Amino acid sequence: MSQAEVRKVRYKMGKLGRKNTLIAYSFLAPNFIGFAVFTLVPVLCAIALSLFEWNGGDISKLKFVGLDNYATIFATKKVAEKGIGYFFNRADLGIALKNTVYYTVVTVPLTIVCALALAMVLNKIKGAVFFRTVFFFPYVSSMVAICVCWSFMLMKDGPINQMIMALGINFNKSWTADGSMAIWSIILVSVWRNMGYYMVLYLAALQGIPRELMEAATVDGANKWKQFLHVTLPQLKPTTFFVSVMMVISCFKIYDVVAIMTDGGPGRSTKMLVTYIYDEAFVKVRYGQASAISMVLLVIVLLVTIIQFSSEKKFSND
Amino acid sequence: MKKLLAVLLAAMMLVLAIPALAEGNQVLTVVTWDATTTPYLIAQKEAFEASHPGVTIEYVDVASQDYAVKTTTMLEGGDTSDVYMIKEIDNLINWQAQGFAAPLDTTGYDMSGFVGTEKNYAVDGVQYAIPFRSDFWVLFYNKDLFEAAGVELPNNDMTWDQYVELAKKMTDKEKGIYGTHYHTWLSAVVNWEVCDGETTLADGNYDGLSYFYGIYQDLEDYGACMSYADLKASGLHYSAAFANGNIAMLPMGYWYVSTLIGYNKDGTCNFNWGITAVPHMYGMDAGSSFGNLTGAMINAKSEKKDLAWEYVSWLGGVEGAKATASVGARPAWVSEEVAAAMSSVEGFPADENSKAALLPSHVSMEWPVAEKVSDIKTIVNEEHSLIMAREVTIEEGIEEMNERVAELFQ
Repeated sequence: MSQAEVRKVRYKMGKLGRKNTLIAYSFLAPNFIGFAVFTLVPVLCAIALSLFEWNGGDISKLKFVGLDNYATIFATKKVAEKGIGYFFNRADLGIALKNTVYYTVVTVPLTIVCALALAMVLNKIKGAVFFRTVFFFPYVSSMVAICVCWSFMLMKDGPINQMIMALGINFNKSWTADGSMAIWSIILVSVWRNMGYYMVLYLAALQGIPRELMEAATVDGANKWKQFLHVTLPQLKPTTFFVSVMMVISCFKIYDVVAIMTDGGPGRSTKMLVTYIYDEAFVKVRYGQASAISMVLLVIVLLVTIIQFSSEKKFSND
Repeated sequence: MKKLLAVLLAAMMLVLAIPALAEGNQVLTVVTWDATTTPYLIAQKEAFEASHPGVTIEYVDVASQDYAVKTTTMLEGGDTSDVYMIKEIDNLINWQAQGFAAPLDTTGYDMSGFVGTEKNYAVDGVQYAIPFRSDFWVLFYNKDLFEAAGVELPNNDMTWDQYVELAKKMTDKEKGIYGTHYHTWLSAVVNWEVCDGETTLADGNYDGLSYFYGIYQDLEDYGACMSYADLKASGLHYSAAFANGNIAMLPMGYWYVSTLIGYNKDGTCNFNWGITAVPHMYGMDAGSSFGNLTGAMINAKSEKKDLAWEYVSWLGGVEGAKATASVGARPAWVSEEVAAAMSSVEGFPADENSKAALLPSHVSMEWPVAEKVSDIKTIVNEEHSLIMAREVTIEEGIEEMNERVAELFQ
């Protein structure tokens, strides 16, 4: 091939490449435009807004305050004076953080255990399809309806307490109105609602475990429990990784259950990061401060995700 | 083909022109809450449209519990509805600061009938809204229950101690009768503290509330009222609770009168009831209460500000007041004429005590207009829920209120 011919081919290839790239972009565009308009731009605006004081009215009233909003939510003056204990015991952000982390740390493992147990049981049982539907049902039901029903069941004289009492335990408290139990009622509802969804993910993963592995384990004399521990669990690692990432993120964003069942109360015992953001933004109309809190949420979720992804290799099958 | 197109276009133009031909029929949009179920809103609309031919009031209905949040979002989004009704005074104060409320020119407009309450809607001497309802708290009672028990009816001059005694006397656990009922709100339990006209809930000192929390806990322990925890969990509304007919007394805002009259009419409840002034502290004048204002402002973005002013000024004035009173609601405009209209409503209790309860000796504002009042509200309400659920003792809860509110101002 002469030099000119080579150039011609390269030119053609380049043209084709550009064309292909353009086609690829055109396929991505609808999704990206939606993401940019409804997520990316608002996120960037929120980052900027967290440095301003603004009550939502005329845009000309935006007042640059630097890091003041952060100083307010972290109660820096008080913390400097009274120590870090003040932040976690008195400041709204500290309490909301504490509650949210507590909720996440309990809900994520609990949901995974329940979902996995359900999946194991329903993997081979007779009538599995029926039960799978039953357990998946809460996930597709209306959140408000679920929360209202659970509120009734968790009342002082409600069915749940009556069952506990029937076991001979003297338990006579309204779950949602009790400072130490309220967060547990939220955990309970969240676990109950979400386990069906994650069960389906685990079921799919269980189907994908090669039969040969199980057979080999049986031949080697492993009992059911050992099979589960040394074959099934390691094979489910990628699913567990995916489930835990998704759940941690969604747990940090908990809002609906709290808003319907306890409204952050009693006191501040179920105040979460997102309910706090809502309160600052829409009830007290302080958008700057609310944006600052959402930046805290953003950083936390980002950190958790980075940590999880950096340890992803440990979770892969190979 | 061309002909057909021309005919179609002409037809379309005609259709588009019809509303324009009906010019003269102006529509005024008014943002409010519970428009279809609130009797006074229906009465006001009918009366205004009757006296202003060619004008139609169109309500934009917003759910009552979301009102402040939803309307603020609407205004921020550049909504052009002409009139916004105001549920809480601090909404207006916020909206004014945000530039959503049009300043009102009240020269020549008689505001004497508002007896000074309109000043709550003024910022730096400029009026931004006109009050049209002024509710104060009264004590509702179920006459039939009192008569069946042979107990003397509550009267307009009772101390809180007498009230507690009466509530206990009326309690009958076997029949499932509660002596009284406390809705979960802060206002229903301890707001009485402000009735003296000097104390406000934004003062930063909440020691005085312990007396009323004490009363509540005493009654709850006795079984004279439903427990806060259950009410909170079940979300039972006070209106349904009292209408059940097993509650002897209920301290509640005057607005409940029109609801009860309606309930009597449609058969939701069928007992006789009455109202008296709320009990008072020992050594204080009988008949003092606290209350709240409801008003209307004109949206700064409205394109029909003149018509909107016509409506808002009518709503607050004597004619609007009569319409409001005609269904049992209490207008902000106070005059004998209006009081007569209130007590002559069909279904209003006929006894002299109930009529006398219409004229409180003094009405304080439930919450004052004050710096950081929305933060104070949040704190006091959070601690309120802890005290009510008995998570903390009364003393601990009040100490927290005092400390946390003080921290706001440090």
